[in-house]
Amino acid sequence: MQRAIDLFYKFLEFLLILLLSGMAIMVFLNVVLRYGFNSGLNVSDELSRYFFVWVTFIGAVVTFREHSHVGVETLVMMFGRRGRIICMILSNIIIIAVSAIFFWGTWKQAPINASMVAPVTKLPMIWVYGIGFFTGAGVVIIALERLFRLLTGRITEEEIAAFAGEHMSLEQLSERT
Amino acid sequence: EFNDRNIRVSNGINEDHPVGNGIKAMQACLDEKSGGKLKLTAFWGGALGGDLQATQALRSGVQEAVVTSSSPLVGIIPALGVFDLPFLFASPEEAYQVLDGEFGDMMSQKLEEAGLVNLGYWENGFRNLSNSVRPVTKWEDFEGMKVRVMQNDIFLDTFQNLGANATPMAFGEVFSALETNAIDAQENPYVTIDTSKFYEVQKYVTETNHAYTPFLFLFSKAIFDTYTPEEQAALRECATVGRDEERKVIQDLNKKSLEKIKEAGLEVNVLSEEEQARIREKSMVVYEKHKATIGADVVDGILAKLEEIRK
Amino acid sequence: MTLGVFIVSLLGAMAIGVPVAFSLMFCGVMLMWYMGMFNTQIIAQNMIAGADTFTLLAIPFFILAGELMNAGGLSRRIIDFAIACVGHIRGGLGIVAIMAAVIMASISGSAAADTAALAAILIPMMAKAGYNVPRSAGLIAAGGVIAPVIPPSMAFIVFGVAANVSITQLFMAGIVPGLLMGIALVVTWLIVVRKDRVETLPRTDAKERLRATGRALWALGMPVIILGGIKMGVVTPTEAAVVAAAYALFVGMVIYRELKPRELPGVILQAAKTTAVIMFLVCAALVSSWLITAANIPAEITGFIEPLIDRPMLLMFVIMLVVLVVGTALDLTPTILILTPVLMPIIKQAGIDPVYFGVLFIMNTCIGLLTPPVGVVLNVVSGVGRVPLGKVTVGVWPFLVTQVLVLFLLVLFPDIVLVPARWLY
Ligand code: NA
Ligand code: NA
Repeated sequence: MQRAIDLFYKFLEFLLILLLSGMAIMVFLNVVLRYGFNSGLNVSDELSRYFFVWVTFIGAVVTFREHSHVGVETLVMMFGRRGRIICMILSNIIIIAVSAIFFWGTWKQAPINASMVAPVTKLPMIWVYGIGFFTGAGVVIIALERLFRLLTGRITEEEIAAFAGEHMSLEQLSERT
Repeated sequence: EFNDRNIRVSNGINEDHPVGNGIKAMQACLDEKSGGKLKLTAFWGGALGGDLQATQALRSGVQEAVVTSSSPLVGIIPALGVFDLPFLFASPEEAYQVLDGEFGDMMSQKLEEAGLVNLGYWENGFRNLSNSVRPVTKWEDFEGMKVRVMQNDIFLDTFQNLGANATPMAFGEVFSALETNAIDAQENPYVTIDTSKFYEVQKYVTETNHAYTPFLFLFSKAIFDTYTPEEQAALRECATVGRDEERKVIQDLNKKSLEKIKEAGLEVNVLSEEEQARIREKSMVVYEKHKATIGADVVDGILAKLEEIRK
Repeated sequence: MTLGVFIVSLLGAMAIGVPVAFSLMFCGVMLMWYMGMFNTQIIAQNMIAGADTFTLLAIPFFILAGELMNAGGLSRRIIDFAIACVGHIRGGLGIVAIMAAVIMASISGSAAADTAALAAILIPMMAKAGYNVPRSAGLIAAGGVIAPVIPPSMAFIVFGVAANVSITQLFMAGIVPGLLMGIALVVTWLIVVRKDRVETLPRTDAKERLRATGRALWALGMPVIILGGIKMGVVTPTEAAVVAAAYALFVGMVIYRELKPRELPGVILQAAKTTAVIMFLVCAALVSSWLITAANIPAEITGFIEPLIDRPMLLMFVIMLVVLVVGTALDLTPTILILTPVLMPIIKQAGIDPVYFGVLFIMNTCIGLLTPPVGVVLNVVSGVGRVPLGKVTVGVWPFLVTQVLVLFLLVLFPDIVLVPARWLY
């Protein structure tokens, strides 16, 4: 099971690399075409924005799993283990609630996004706005699993430390500026 | 019977645009009819999001109203692409006759099917070309010119067909792109060229009148349907009052903006009749290419109507 | 009252450890519930629409450029170049740190990445030469936060999009204040180390200096490409960012050959993750910002500060104090995103130049990266340089005070920002 999950995240990371490279190549190619050949790719502007949306919302789930989203740990840091666990429970409940609302809103809006196409690529906009399904569901699942382990006393000390902002890696710190 | 209603109207343009005058006139009319119960709260400069975003908010019943140009909405209602076709209307009067008549009602019907109540066609004005390379007097002058266009297929094809290098770009980036010569040209109504200060970074303006993309005063159908018949009638009537005021102000302002552009030292020329005809001829391929997407009935319908008017 | 709901829900959620992005979404939910317009589609639509903006594409590209610059050995050569130039002066390694920080600032937009590169190389050198280590660490932290003030800068892009202000103009207006921060740091450094007994590096001969310059030349070309490209009118900021990334890739792989093809996916992935964290925050902020606008909260606040509207300088002073306080507890991007929609209408009403305000606002949020309890750059220096966080916090204070003084100097004399800015754009 754990292997399948890890494999899935590897796949997401692969997607992120592909999407970011794709965006960079499209925009760069357009600069070169414009100055070198006085022409351009019509789809580049639109498609690179959509890639950007996907990078943001797929990456949001991946980084949520890694506890990398910017938080203010000042108060939490001062609490003991028990206080931290209570804050973690409340915090996960709020995260589940807002992410569920995000998912629900995406659901309610799906018909109007499905009935609209992008001006140049003609891509139905549900492909862009529908990413809310993935992010909403992804975050809810991760947070539910955490909540379950919190309530059954199976949360690890590393996770509690990560919640209080301790032992952040350099990568995580640089994600925060 | 009137209830207290706060109607949020989203605008991509700024308050000093004639739409501001139109909304004031509309509010005065509403005050009179509803005893001050129907209140318009206008948000300017895209404060509540871009035109497309606001329109989607209307469709989902999140927000009441938006004043938007027809062009960004073609992804929702392909038929609106008809207004993007190059050199369609020859004068504002022609446009009024078509829009305020049967054809306009037919388009409003299509909007309604997408969850949008069209309260009327306001004026955005004819679009003209400004550039920093050379005066444009014939279609050959477009050759190789880097023109910013909206993210819209028909505009892209129109300018590519004329030999220009059409570049889709967000409106917010246009000024600095012109300033730094990342692009040579842009196309917008005189009022926009004036209020967005494009004249500071351009040398030539050509009155091409290549497109008349109307503003639509759209209301969320989901919300409109919850209003009483009296409220609905008041909104429809007062939107017309606002429209007339807005059209009057924008006509004056167009002249003033043109004066300002000239005073700023730009070289302004008008495309000659023959050249206009020649470009229109050359642009017919764009009509053909997009006829299927827009709907053959819509394109043929408006062309027939125009022919009838021009007789 | 709506203002109260906004503040309490946002601060409450953040206090119990909800990440800022989710706190902003929660604040949005509470606002629409309070305003009687609960509709889940408001959240869904504004979230995605926030990322669907071409201008913001500059953010991942500049992040990528910064990552590639570090992985490709450009940072290392910039520091070597600075050592060859000023390493032999008394207190020289401190000047090296600031000179390198300023050059790196003109290439990258991230304070943390720049600081990490500086700290990794310079702190061991400074320790060996006998400098007070906490003080050296503090100086490097203070130098690192110049990165977002000198273009390119993610902070300016985020602010420019949130406030609807020209990013090109913000970039140009940031140059002089950024240099000023650097000069002020050098002066302070020379004052605080004047009595220390330290070794100075041997003076490099002209040949060696020339060689270091030659090696750094490719790296030094990057600011020319970025700023020259935008200023001379070849590219928009978004395109400049992608060109910078391509250039850093080329130099790192082909010229310096330090970046191996197999390392590339890791570098890109890290840039993608950083992008996601920043952009998810931007998107969540646009939800609450939409509701703040729809609820007319800025008007509520303008009521409070009505008496200050006619005194722009005093108003700026008050706002800068508030931002300084907020910055102690909040990171750079959240500070910008939370305060911009609230402050901009006030700034406009008071007739303050939005570009001038933007520059001071960003400078101030950068100073916030150095103030405890939440000062990310302090953590970076502490982690990379292996200096306890408490000691870095003590070591940074003279430089922190210096930067605050520079900030308030600019509040008193707006022309220091405005005159060169007008000349540059
Ligand atoms: Na920078
Ligand atoms: Na701080």
